[in-house]
Amino acid sequence: MGGSLKDDDSATDSDDLKGDLPNATSGVFVEGEKVLAYHGPRIYEAKVQKAEIRKNEWRYFVHYLGWNKNWDEWVGKDRLMKYSDENVLKQQALDKKQGVDKNQKARAGHTRPKVSTDVKLEKEDSRNTGTKGKKRKGDIEVEKEDDAQVGKPVKIQIPPTLKKQLVDDWESIIQQDKLIKLPRSPNVDTILSKYMEYNSLKDGSQGMTTDQSQEIVNGLLCYFNKVLPVMLLYKKERQQYIEAVVGDVSPSATYGAEHLLRLFVKLPDLLGKFKMEEETLIRLKQKLNDFLKFMQKNQSTFFLSTYDVSKVYEGFEKEEDD
Amino acid sequence: MKLVSGENGIEEEEGMSSHFPCKNPLSSSSSPDKEQSQVEVELKLLEALEIYPLVKLCGIHRHFVLFGLTEYLQRSFSRQFSPSEVLQLLDRFYNLEMLQPDDEEIEILNRDTDFCLPQSFFVKEEP
Repeated sequence: MGGSLKDDDSATDSDDLKGDLPNATSGVFVEGEKVLAYHGPRIYEAKVQKAEIRKNEWRYFVHYLGWNKNWDEWVGKDRLMKYSDENVLKQQALDKKQGVDKNQKARAGHTRPKVSTDVKLEKEDSRNTGTKGKKRKGDIEVEKEDDAQVGKPVKIQIPPTLKKQLVDDWESIIQQDKLIKLPRSPNVDTILSKYMEYNSLKDGSQGMTTDQSQEIVNGLLCYFNKVLPVMLLYKKERQQYIEAVVGDVSPSATYGAEHLLRLFVKLPDLLGKFKMEEETLIRLKQKLNDFLKFMQKNQSTFFLSTYDVSKVYEGFEKEEDD
Repeated sequence: MKLVSGENGIEEEEGMSSHFPCKNPLSSSSSPDKEQSQVEVELKLLEALEIYPLVKLCGIHRHFVLFGLTEYLQRSFSRQFSPSEVLQLLDRFYNLEMLQPDDEEIEILNRDTDFCLPQSFFVKEEP
């Protein structure tokens, strides 16, 4: 893919070791040191933030790399290991034993004893892995909340042709300086109501009543109208938005499939912001996936194939549309 | 389906289904039973609120939260509930109009960020 102006959201901070000189007369581990730490049934990469003696014992405050600060905790040296090849092998062995791909980081054993229903377990790493944290035998702390997911990213599969649509969308706007002509037809309102029509014709509808399907569609509509200006616009589209959505005009009446699709990129984050039962989440995802398939089926009618050349020029003559 | 409720000590046995062909406890004709069942539903609803806090019912997630509540009740009683039915039930206990969105939501909505297509979309193979 040509072009150097890629909008990249993988803005993870690189963990750089502080490079403090180890204090040889102190404990085994030093501040800033990268270590391997036991937590629950598995071993994780961590960094020692602080090292102190308490009650004649060395205690280390560790941060688990790639995980939210909420998980940081004081541990004793029995929980830590030097970051050596040998110990990394141990880590991999435990990963295998758990029967889980390392990238999934299912931290079922990590539910903290005092977690309240409002604790948000967000990863600081933008590479969301969509784990479920299912209860496993042998987990130390098994809590009622294990069945309800909070703050964990919800994985939604976007069909490949729609993914390509998003890339083309990016290409047109970011690389080619184009904009989508507004208002769109069909707009989001229309697309959603067409979906409800389509939904009522199908058998089963994922075992959901029309009311329930409608509730989900209403949820999408609500999200769309609230978050379009907050997180669904490229910078270059902001001016257009200000001009197009005035008074009590709703975004869903103005924008169409292109921006609705972008909502699906953000849905995992949005849906992760509150707790939902596992089973309910599964049914919800089925419905959302069904909706995406519907979009895919109607890709040629819902989406634009070419965008307008942007009218924002400095010092150039206004060009005609393609 | 056999409905057993430990909370109120009501048990509906299978043999009874011949007398009450409709398995829906709420449509039972006898009034004391009906009241009891209503109470059961209300109790379950309050239980459900532990997972789906009220405050989430007034913000941007409210439709999905309501969906969750509806699912919870459906599974508890093995019968259909409609989202509007659930809202009506809630209305008996709470003044839903007085709810305010929580801080977390205000935070989401106050921070404009430019849309960014994640790196994974640009990669041809599936990760």
